[in-house]
Amino acid sequence: MKLSESLARLRYGLFPDHLVGEVLSKRWTDNAIPLVFLLATVIGVGTAIPDFFSLASLADASRQLGEFAIVVMGLTIVMLGGGIDLSVGATFALSAFASVAVIYIMGGPIWLALLAALATGAVVGAANGVLIGYLRLRAFLTTLVTFTILHAIYSILVVNFSAQVQLADVQTPIWDFIGDGGVAGFPISLIVAVLVAILAHVFISRSRLGWHVLAVGGSRRSAFNAGISVRRTVFMTYMISGLCSGLAGFLIGARLSGVGPGTGAGLEILALTAGVVGGNSLGGGRGSIAKGLMGAVIVLILTNGLIRLGFTSGTNQMVLGVVLALAVFLDVRWLKNRSKVLAKVYVAPVYSALPSTPSAEPDSGSPFALNDRLAETEFIGLGEIEGPEDVILDEDDNLYCGTRNGEVVRFLAPDYKQWEVFAHTGGFPLGLAFDRAGALTVCVGAMGLYSVARDRTVTRLSAETNRTPFSILDDARLRDPNDCDIAPDGRIFFTDSTTRYDAHDWALDSVESRPTGRLLVYDPRNGRTRTVLRGMSYLNGVCMAHDGQSLFLAESWACRVHRYWFDGPKAGRLDCVIAAMPGYPDNINRASDGGYWMAWLGMRTPSYDLALRKPGMRKRMTRRLPQDDWLFPNINTGGVVKFDENGAITEVLGNLGGHSHPMVTSMREHKGALYVGGILNNRIGRYRLEGADPSWTGMRSYWGEGR
Amino acid sequence: MPASKTALALATAGFLAAAPAFARNDPGPATYDAALKDKTVVLVPMSTGEDLAQGWAHYVGDAVKAAGGKFEVRDPNWNTEAGAQAITEAINSKPAVIIVQAPDLQSYSKLFRRAQEAGIYVIQVDNPTNYPTEAFVGSNWTKLGELEAQAVINGCGPNSSKEIGLIQGDQTNSSSLDQYTGIQNVLKDHPDFKIVAQPDSNWDASTARSVATTLIQQHPNVCGIIDYWDATAQGTAAAIRAAGKTGKITLATTGGGEQADCNLLDTGVIDALVATDVPNQSRDVITTIKFLMQSGIKPGTVKTWLYTPEHITTKADIKNGTCWNLKDFAKSK
Amino acid sequence: MTGWFLLLGRRRQEDTVFLLTILLFLTFSFVLHGFLTTGNIIALLRSVALLGILAVGMGIVVIGRGIDLSLVAILAISVAVFLNLLGQSYPIGIALLLALVGVIAVGALNGVLTAYAEMPAIFATLATGTFVYGLGRSQFLTQDVIYLPPGHDLFTAFGNARLASIPVEVVVFAFILVGAFLWLRFSKYGRYIYLIGDNLNAARNAGLPVRPVIVLQYVVSALLAFVAGLIMAAGIHSMNTRIVNSSLLYDVILVVVIGGIGLSGGKGGVRNLIVGTLLIGILLNGMTILDISDLYQNLIKATVLLAALIVDGVLNPRDEQTDQQGDI
Repeated sequence: MKLSESLARLRYGLFPDHLVGEVLSKRWTDNAIPLVFLLATVIGVGTAIPDFFSLASLADASRQLGEFAIVVMGLTIVMLGGGIDLSVGATFALSAFASVAVIYIMGGPIWLALLAALATGAVVGAANGVLIGYLRLRAFLTTLVTFTILHAIYSILVVNFSAQVQLADVQTPIWDFIGDGGVAGFPISLIVAVLVAILAHVFISRSRLGWHVLAVGGSRRSAFNAGISVRRTVFMTYMISGLCSGLAGFLIGARLSGVGPGTGAGLEILALTAGVVGGNSLGGGRGSIAKGLMGAVIVLILTNGLIRLGFTSGTNQMVLGVVLALAVFLDVRWLKNRSKVLAKVYVAPVYSALPSTPSAEPDSGSPFALNDRLAETEFIGLGEIEGPEDVILDEDDNLYCGTRNGEVVRFLAPDYKQWEVFAHTGGFPLGLAFDRAGALTVCVGAMGLYSVARDRTVTRLSAETNRTPFSILDDARLRDPNDCDIAPDGRIFFTDSTTRYDAHDWALDSVESRPTGRLLVYDPRNGRTRTVLRGMSYLNGVCMAHDGQSLFLAESWACRVHRYWFDGPKAGRLDCVIAAMPGYPDNINRASDGGYWMAWLGMRTPSYDLALRKPGMRKRMTRRLPQDDWLFPNINTGGVVKFDENGAITEVLGNLGGHSHPMVTSMREHKGALYVGGILNNRIGRYRLEGADPSWTGMRSYWGEGR
Repeated sequence: MPASKTALALATAGFLAAAPAFARNDPGPATYDAALKDKTVVLVPMSTGEDLAQGWAHYVGDAVKAAGGKFEVRDPNWNTEAGAQAITEAINSKPAVIIVQAPDLQSYSKLFRRAQEAGIYVIQVDNPTNYPTEAFVGSNWTKLGELEAQAVINGCGPNSSKEIGLIQGDQTNSSSLDQYTGIQNVLKDHPDFKIVAQPDSNWDASTARSVATTLIQQHPNVCGIIDYWDATAQGTAAAIRAAGKTGKITLATTGGGEQADCNLLDTGVIDALVATDVPNQSRDVITTIKFLMQSGIKPGTVKTWLYTPEHITTKADIKNGTCWNLKDFAKSK
Repeated sequence: MTGWFLLLGRRRQEDTVFLLTILLFLTFSFVLHGFLTTGNIIALLRSVALLGILAVGMGIVVIGRGIDLSLVAILAISVAVFLNLLGQSYPIGIALLLALVGVIAVGALNGVLTAYAEMPAIFATLATGTFVYGLGRSQFLTQDVIYLPPGHDLFTAFGNARLASIPVEVVVFAFILVGAFLWLRFSKYGRYIYLIGDNLNAARNAGLPVRPVIVLQYVVSALLAFVAGLIMAAGIHSMNTRIVNSSLLYDVILVVVIGGIGLSGGKGGVRNLIVGTLLIGILLNGMTILDISDLYQNLIKATVLLAALIVDGVLNPRDEQTDQQGDI
C-alpha cells in the first residue's frame, strides 16, 4: 500500500466526518440558532451589566420568567398545532383578576383562587377552541377579537371592583409565599414553570395527543385524512393555552397582590416574539417546548436588560424588532437550506480497498468468467410489475415478489400469466422467506420485518432493535431491512444493510462505503429483535446453510461472503468463505445440489475500485458535482453464481448484453427452474436448469418432505 | 442656567462666605455633603416620553448629581410589567432612593414594601397608590378636577347655556376618576351647570376629536368642555375649531406646564390650563430626598403627602417663566 | 347592484355585513335623536375616514395575501418625525420629502423581508413596525407627543379645508377609494396583486414579477399610512406616538375582514372596504351619541365583530381538503 493511501485510510478512517451530517440530520439541530441567540444575549447583556446575573437579580428575573414562560409554552403548543393565540395577554389579566377577586373580595381560600384562575383560562380557551377548532374560524382574527372582548371585560371589572380589592385588608401568608417566596432560592413561579415545561414536553414529544398536535400542525389535510380528529386536537391546543395563561395569571396576581389596568398589556406580542425567536415556525408542525423556553429567556433578558441599561423609550422596541426579524429570517433560511446543506455534507466517504480478484472476462478461464446463459430466460409479468427485488415460490408453485408500490404480488401457477396483489405492506418489500406455517416473512425497505399470513393479514414483526449507546443517529430504527431467512427453530435472521441511508439511497452507501450493515435476529418466542453482527459493508443477502446451524452472508460493497454459525459447536464463529469477487453480491439462496445461488447486482470496474481507494476524491465529487455526474458502482451487468459449502464457485450465469437481466438481485431454484428477480427490472425471468432435481423446492428443503 | 442651579450656586456661595465663623462647630455642611455622596437615586416613571417625566429627570437629576450622587432613569414605556421588573431590578442594585410614578393604585404596592424592607426610601410622584410610602409628591387630581370645573364655569359665565361636556381619558385610570370626582364636587355648588355628555378619548387625540365633534353636534349649546389631558385637548380643540365655535366654547384641560402648553394657551387652542408645577414639584422631591437621607429614618416608618399647589392659567396669566421649557434642558446640558 | 355583488367572491359574508349596516343605520336613524342629520353624517364620515384610508392600505396588502402590522407605527413615526423636522425649522417641502423617503424605505423593507427573504408577513411587518417605532422614538424623538410648531398655516388650513362642506379627510378618502378601485381593477399591477394573492406559485410560474409586486403593495400601504397620518396631524396639530399601543391597528384589520376581504388573499375589493368602514363608523358614532363609555364601546364593537365572524364561519365553512397549510 502506498504511503498516500495509508494516510488517506487513516484520515478518513479515524476522523468522524459522518458525524457532521448525522448531527445536521437531527431535528434538535433546529435548536442551534435560538441557542446561539440565547448565548449571545446572555453574554452581551451579562457584559454590559456586570451584576445582571447576580443571584438576587436572577431570582427576581426568574420569578417573572416563570410566569412568562408558562404563557409562552401555552402559545407554543397552539403554534405547533398550526394556530396562533393573541388572547393570551387578556386571558392572563382576566385570570389574575379572578384569583385576586377570590382572595380580596370574597375572602376565599388559595385553592379557590387558583381554581378560579384556571377556570377562567379554561373557559376562554374553550371559547377559542370551539370557534377555531369546531367552527374553524381563522385563528388570527378570532383570537384578536376575543382579545378585544376579554380586554374590555377585564377593564370594566377593574374599574368596578378595584376599589374593593384595594381596600380589602386580607392577610394570606400562603398567597404572599406564592408571590414572594421560594424553595431553596427558586421562586415558586419558576418551579411551577419547570413542572409545566416537563409536562408539556412529555405531552408534545411522547404522547399520542401531542403527536396529533404536531401532525395537525405539520399537515392539517393529511392529519384529517389519516383519521385524526383535527377539530378536537385544535380545540385542545387552545384549551391548553388558556389553562397556561390562567396559571400564569394566578402567579402574577400573587406576585403583585393585585391587578391594574396595565396587567398583561402587550403580553401577546412579547409571547409571540418569544415563540418565534425560539424557532417555532408559524403555521405549525415544527418546534418544541424547549424552543419556546429559549425564546422566553431571550426576550425577557433583552427587555429587562435594555430597561436596566436606562436607554430611552423605544430602544427596547428597536432591538426587539431587529431580533425578531433576524430570528425569523434565520429560521426561514435554515429551514429552506438545511436539506441542501445536508445533501452536500452527508456523504462522508471512507477508504476501501477491494482485494484483487480473478477476472470475470468471458472465456478468460477464471472460475468467474461470465457467459450469456441468462439471455435464454423467459419473462414473467413483463412490464406489469416494478422492482421485484426478491422472488419466492410456495408449495403450490405460485410465484411471489415485492414491488416498488409497496405490494406483494402473486403470480398464479402454472403458467404465471395471471397475477394478483397478495398483500399491501407499504414501503418497498425486499427479501422474502416462508416460515414453517407457510406465512410469508417480508423485509420491507424503510419499514421493518413483516409477516403475511396465508389469509393475507399483514403483521409487523419488528421495526427496531437495541440502540447502540452514544450513537447520534437512531440506529434502533431499521432503515434498510434487506433480506431475511428463517432458522429451523423459527428465529428470523435478517439484514439491515446500512444505518446511514434510507432504502432508496442504497447507491449512496456505496459511494461512502462506510461499513454499517447489521445482521439482526427476531425471536418469535419473545418478540424481541437483537443485533447479532454489526459493521459490515452493506450486508445484503442472508441464507440458511443446509446444516441449519449457520448462515451465509453477502457484503455487497466489500464483495465478500461470510459464513456465520449461530448454533451448534461452532456457534459465534464468522468465517470469510469468499474473500474476493468481481461482482457485488446480493441475495443468496439454496440450490438443489447442496450448493448456494448468489446474485450479483453489478460488476466491479477498475475505475470505481480506484475511486474507493480515494476517499478525498469521492468527497470532492459529492460536494462539487451534481449527483447525475457522480461515479457509481456499475450495475448494468450482473449475474448469478453458484458456490459450494466451501465457497468454491461451481457455476456462473451471465447476460453479456444485459438485455434480459442487466441487474440481478435475487434468484430461486424451484422444480428445475431458476426464477430471477432484479430491483430495477420490470419482469421476472425463468431459466431452465439442465440436470437439476425437477422435484426440489425451497419449501421442502427448509421445512421437510410434507410440504 | 435653570433656577435650581442658580439657587444652589448661591447657597454654596453663602456657605463659603460664612465658613470662617462657623467652621469648627457646625456639622451642617459636612452632613449635607455626605447625605447623597455616591448614593444612587433611581427614577421609574411610566415613560420617559412625557413632559412630566422629563421635567423630573432634569430637575431632580441635576440636584442629585450636584450633591454628589448618582441618578438613573429606567423607562418602562407605559408597560406596567416592565415597570414592575424595573423596580425589582432597582431594588437589587440597592440604591438609596427610588422615585416611582405608579400607573395604578395597586400594581406596585408589594414592590414598595420590598424596597423599604431592603432599606430603600420610596418616593411616589404624580399618581398616588394605596400603599403610602415615605412621601407622595404630586398633584391632587381631585383638586385638579375642581379647578378645571371652576375654569369652565368662569369661562361660560352666568349668562350662558350652562351646558358642559367632558372628554374623559378612560374609566380605569385613577387620575381620570379623581378628576371626575373633583368636577362633581364643584358642580354641587353650581347646580345650574350640568354635564350633557362625557365620552372617553382613551387618551387618543383623534378619538377626542371625533367624540368632541359628535358632542358639539348633539349639544350645539354647550359652553364649556373639560378635556382631561393637554395632548387630547388638541383633538377636542380641532373639533371646536371645525364647528366654528372657537371662543364660544371654553376648553379647559390639565398639563405638565411645559412651553407647548403655553403655546396652546397663547394661540387660543385651549382657554384654561390647570398645570402641574413641575419645577416646584421636583423641588419637593429633592427636598424630601435630602431630608430622608440626613434623617436616619428607617424606611417604612414615616408617611408624608406633599401636594403640589395648582392654579388655573389662562392666556391673560402668561408671562415669561409661566411655563418651563424642555428645550432649555438641552441647552443647559 | 347584483352585478356588482357577483363580480367577486365571498358575497354571503359581505351581504350579511351590508344588511347589518343598513339595519343599524335605520335603527339609529329612528331611535337616536340627531343621528340622521347632515352634520352628524359628515361627522360620522369624517371620524371613519382615517380608519378607512388605513383600511385601503391594509386591504391591498391582504388581497396580495399579506398583512401589514407596521401600518400604525409608520403612520405615527413618519408624521411625528415630520412634525419634529418642522420644529427644527426645516422648510415644509424638505421635511415632507425626508419623511416620504423614510416611509418608502420602510414599505420597501417590509416587501423585501416578505418577498425576498420569504419571511411570513405577520412577523416581517410586526418586526418592522416594532423597529420603526423603536428607532423613531429613541433616535429622532424625545417625547411621546410631538406638536405642530406654530406658523404652518397652510398645513393647518389643509386640515380644516372643506369641499362643498365636506371635510378634507372625507374628500381624500373618497379619492383614495376611487384610485384604489381603478388601480386594482384596471391596472396591470393591480390585477397582479389578485393573482399573487390567489396563488403565489402559480403567479410565479406564469412569469409575473411576483417579488417586485409584493414590494410595491407594501410601499403603497406605507404611503397610505403616511397620508392618513398627515391628515390626522393637520386636524389635531400634533401626533401622539403612543397611538401604536392603541387598538387602531386591530380596528383596521377588523374593518378589512368584516367587509369580507379574506385573509387568505386574492379576494375582495374596494366595495368590501366601504361596507366594513361604514359598519364600524355607524356603530362608533351611534354609541358616542348614546354616551356609552369607551370600555363598553370596545366590548360591543368586538362582540358584533365576533358575531359576524361566527355567521361567516357557519355560512362559509372552511374545507379540510382545500384549506391552505399555514393559513392562519
